[in-house]
Amino acid sequence: MFIEYTWLVPLVPVLCFVAIGFLGKKMPEGGGPLAVFGALFACVLSVLISYEFFTSSAYADPGYVTAQITWFSIGSFDINIGYYIDSLSCLVMMFASFISTLIFVYSIGYMHGEGAKKRRYYAQVSLFLTGMLGLAISSNFLEMFVFWEAMGLCSYLLIGFWGFDHPKGDDATDVAASAAKKAFLVTRLGDVCLMGGMFVLLYEFGSLDYAAVFDASAMAAVDPSMIMLGSLLIFGGVIGKSAQFPLLDWLPDAMAGPTTVSALIHAATMVKAGVFLVARCFPLFTQNPEVMLFVGVIGGITAFFAATMALNNMNIKKVLAYSTLSQLGYMFLALGAGGYMMALGMQTHDHHLMAIGAIGYTAGCLHMVNHAFFKALLFLGSGSVIHSTGTEDMREMGGLHGKMKITSITMLIGSLSIAGFPFFSGFWSKELVLETVMHAGDYGAEGYLFTIMWILAIVTAFMTAFYMFRMWFMTFKGKPGHGTEHCHGESPKSMTVPLIILAPFAAALGAILLFGFDEYVTIGINHVGEFQLGSGHGHGLEGWLEDIFMSIYTYLTIALVLAAIGIAYFMYSKMSVDPGKLNKNGSSMIYRALSNRWWFPQLYDQIGWKLGNGVARGVEFVDTQVVDGTVNALSSAVAGSGDSIGKMQTGNMRDYAAVVMFGIVSLFAVMLVLFYFMGGA
Amino acid sequence: MFFEFPFEIPYLLTLLLVVPLIGAVATLAMGGERQKYAKYVAGTFSGIAMVLSLVLLFTPDLSVYNESYTWIETAGVRMSYILTVDGLSILMVFLTGVLVFLSTVFSAREHDRPHYFFALLLAMEVGLMGVYMAGDYFLFYILWEVTLIPMYFLIAWFGGPRRHYAAIKFFIYTHVASLVMLIGIFAIVFGAAGGGTVDFSFAAVLAGSAAFSTTFQTLVFGLLFFGFAVKMPIVPFHTWLPDAHTEAPTAGSVLLAGVMLKMGSYGIIRVCLELLPDGAQAWQMTMVFIGILAMVYGAYACIAQKDLKKMVAFSSISHMGMVMIAMACLSDIGIQFAVFQMFAHGLISAVLFMVAGAAGHNIGTREIPLLGGLAGKLPVFAAFMMFGFLASLGLPGLVGFWAEFGIIFSFYEYTVSIDMIWLIAFCLITLLLTAGYYLWAAQRTLFGRLTTKIDLTHIHDLSRPEVVALGATCALIALFGLWPDLALGFIKDYASSLALTLGAV
Repeated sequence: MFIEYTWLVPLVPVLCFVAIGFLGKKMPEGGGPLAVFGALFACVLSVLISYEFFTSSAYADPGYVTAQITWFSIGSFDINIGYYIDSLSCLVMMFASFISTLIFVYSIGYMHGEGAKKRRYYAQVSLFLTGMLGLAISSNFLEMFVFWEAMGLCSYLLIGFWGFDHPKGDDATDVAASAAKKAFLVTRLGDVCLMGGMFVLLYEFGSLDYAAVFDASAMAAVDPSMIMLGSLLIFGGVIGKSAQFPLLDWLPDAMAGPTTVSALIHAATMVKAGVFLVARCFPLFTQNPEVMLFVGVIGGITAFFAATMALNNMNIKKVLAYSTLSQLGYMFLALGAGGYMMALGMQTHDHHLMAIGAIGYTAGCLHMVNHAFFKALLFLGSGSVIHSTGTEDMREMGGLHGKMKITSITMLIGSLSIAGFPFFSGFWSKELVLETVMHAGDYGAEGYLFTIMWILAIVTAFMTAFYMFRMWFMTFKGKPGHGTEHCHGESPKSMTVPLIILAPFAAALGAILLFGFDEYVTIGINHVGEFQLGSGHGHGLEGWLEDIFMSIYTYLTIALVLAAIGIAYFMYSKMSVDPGKLNKNGSSMIYRALSNRWWFPQLYDQIGWKLGNGVARGVEFVDTQVVDGTVNALSSAVAGSGDSIGKMQTGNMRDYAAVVMFGIVSLFAVMLVLFYFMGGA
Repeated sequence: MFFEFPFEIPYLLTLLLVVPLIGAVATLAMGGERQKYAKYVAGTFSGIAMVLSLVLLFTPDLSVYNESYTWIETAGVRMSYILTVDGLSILMVFLTGVLVFLSTVFSAREHDRPHYFFALLLAMEVGLMGVYMAGDYFLFYILWEVTLIPMYFLIAWFGGPRRHYAAIKFFIYTHVASLVMLIGIFAIVFGAAGGGTVDFSFAAVLAGSAAFSTTFQTLVFGLLFFGFAVKMPIVPFHTWLPDAHTEAPTAGSVLLAGVMLKMGSYGIIRVCLELLPDGAQAWQMTMVFIGILAMVYGAYACIAQKDLKKMVAFSSISHMGMVMIAMACLSDIGIQFAVFQMFAHGLISAVLFMVAGAAGHNIGTREIPLLGGLAGKLPVFAAFMMFGFLASLGLPGLVGFWAEFGIIFSFYEYTVSIDMIWLIAFCLITLLLTAGYYLWAAQRTLFGRLTTKIDLTHIHDLSRPEVVALGATCALIALFGLWPDLALGFIKDYASSLALTLGAV
């Protein structure tokens, strides 16, 4: 009874967007409460829909509920609009709307001082949420793409929220304007790939509906190399959206927006859309092990590189931004490794291998949900600190624990979770990710790549624990800085209450989901190939505990995490070790490489500038000097004026006409000749 | 259709010509003291014309409005007054009606000889409507030429500093192209007559076209294609367009980009593709090449432009290149979406040129390097500019995206059929470049630090008529974007029947 009303889930937030957009000026807090209502409505409805779905007969077979109407047709191909509910959509819908509700509540405190700009803010975040919810329930690729791009638009607008009239002056304004453009263009590069992928699928399958494309017999009928091409192009879109290597550079810049926007982009929406899409396309991607190998390797590289860049960053939000990139890398690594094994298992009909692969899928999805909670908590916590101290530079913080107890403790919980401290949410999913990747290394000819990725992932786990606690100690412990003196104490209730609500989720949700509800996650890939979840059962508590604690490497990572936290403690809290000695006070090569983000931004700017503006200058020269120059030279030669074109008068119109006529006729002759050479009649 | 207009208005198509014509004369009479009322007269007549064009949209069977009278019949030559509307032309007629009315509204503050100005707009409407409705080659050619004259005077009398140069360049380019086209028209009309009565009507020529040999088709296709394509325009015969746009007044630019460029692609479909399917096959690769060139070249040229209006003009070249490759596919989908893109680009370019024009009036300059950070000072202007930019760069949910998606898909089908899938990369690169030049322009005009290079004391946000005109156009862009079938439904049958002709070769 609720599933038929699924379309209300994105519709109510979009109506809030319209209402706030047009009438927000007259609403209290610029429409903030209405935005909260929209998100809350979506959240409640999502839970009801999910409950109904999980208890329905469609849950086990066929695993989804879909309904759609024809939107329009492209030739004989119908493009539909409708909903497609399965366990993945339920999961995404619930966490996105729940976290967004808390972020919107938090915003009422955080954005209180923004005046008339609040209307714009609340309208745009409502549209942002619409994008994510619409994406989760879409029934086909093109419908999904509409919401996908709506999120791209919102991220552009919100990152550029202070793209004019920045309270901190002209330089900050320029930075925000440039960051917004970069975010849109880099994701657009991925999006055109995704569009290309849709053309391939539409042509090969004759439909873009998930139900039609993911049908096993339909996929069997299509040339595998075209499926591979389509899958890789779709993953190109994911690389842009989820800021994976090599398109990872826009996300740190995107910190120019308000902190709440960062929380929204990193936790609930936008970058999660990429993970969602890979999970959604599992049946398609697992047709080729090479595709999944590519997904995994890109994820592993991103996880490692992003973590290195967080090691020495002084900006509290940027550290969190890099950690998002790194954690997203983990998710793709898990999905890639799991999918790789499933794909191999499907080729050899090896059910055991498929079951191991399914763990990768579960790990990836679980890490997506866990990350949503602890990253929302961390960003909102950092927003609370920034709100109170007026700075983002961690050197100006320090010793804030006494002044901001709630923020400090909740952020500690978030940090423990993301660092993979035993028994916190992040620990469970991270261990499963590492486990899956290690297994993937044993299979197939290219499996050794996963072994390399596994080593990188373990090093990343160490680095994650280090930079997260470096951040926490630098902010809340250690020597008080300039910003600490100006701190106005703990943030208002509307900001601390969301933190307090998020903290238990960040701490414990991972364990609850894994031990109680793992079946509801894993069933998302039931019927992929021959994979069948056992009769209504997940892996079970014992199974998971065995997986995690029977492996010696689990203890290795726990040891590394503890060591990293210890090092951070001595460096940044007790201050008994001077980090400056290790990096020659910032002059070592590696330190400069990290500060310059391995010189990626410079490289991209150079390439982008040359390929864009450089070529454009050439075209402009050809246009004004060669093409138009020829026309003008011909006309002035005949008109006999010899003067600049600006002096051309109506008197010699006939001569001018004659010249142009002559030029056209001769060019036309050239075209004819060309055309005969090109193989015409 | 969810709503059908209940009556049949007698002589509706003739009224679509006569109403603007009377309006033009009436407006012209509003000289001297009565100048300030000219806009109301013009608004009334163009409003009536718009409503009449709207009636057409809600008519289930368009054939009831066909009008056919023999006009001149002597010595074996018959020229007729035939007006007709079908799936190809109905959206263009609607677009003309809407854009002439909205550009009249937008120009409400025109104080320089307004009676001439508005009379020229209405006169242009006569020609534009006529071109899209004509069912006889003689009538078609006359009305085609009729559109040139008001546009020439709009540029030459109401244009910017280099208006004479631009006006002459515009006139000569398009006039010479239409002479070439005229030769082509004579060829098909006399060819179809085959020694019998020379009948200029579309139907008679179509009936006689079955006898055209492949060689004849190929040669004549070249003539006609060239005549039409210069109007679209195509690289390298495009340089008249940026100059004409830069100098033309806003309303002139809106009609030039919104409706007049479409005459070219309309002609290619109506004449070249309908009559000369063999010729189309022979020229297919050339059309693809020309389309790709226009698309990529236009997009790159946009990046380098400093004048906002010139950038928009080059973006028109790029977007019309998309229409070209869609037509070149010679397929059902290609034709359907070529027409849809003509319609979509008509609406979107209207917004873009209105915004660029408003920058000229309200800020005092359109030079991008002189602007910056204006979103805070001019919020309404900024909102419409962003809307136009986003629509033009193909944001899903707005009308331009569906058109581009369909076009690139039809092109994909074509590239698969000739085993050159990589050609699709040009389309994708164009999409990326389009986003690039628009967002870069937005960054330099609306965002970033507030400019200090111009005097900001006299800048002002959009006036009420400007907001009304822009708001209405944007509403249409959103409406057709959320519900593309509203427009695609008209084109569908026409496209599939034409594709049958083309495929039967």
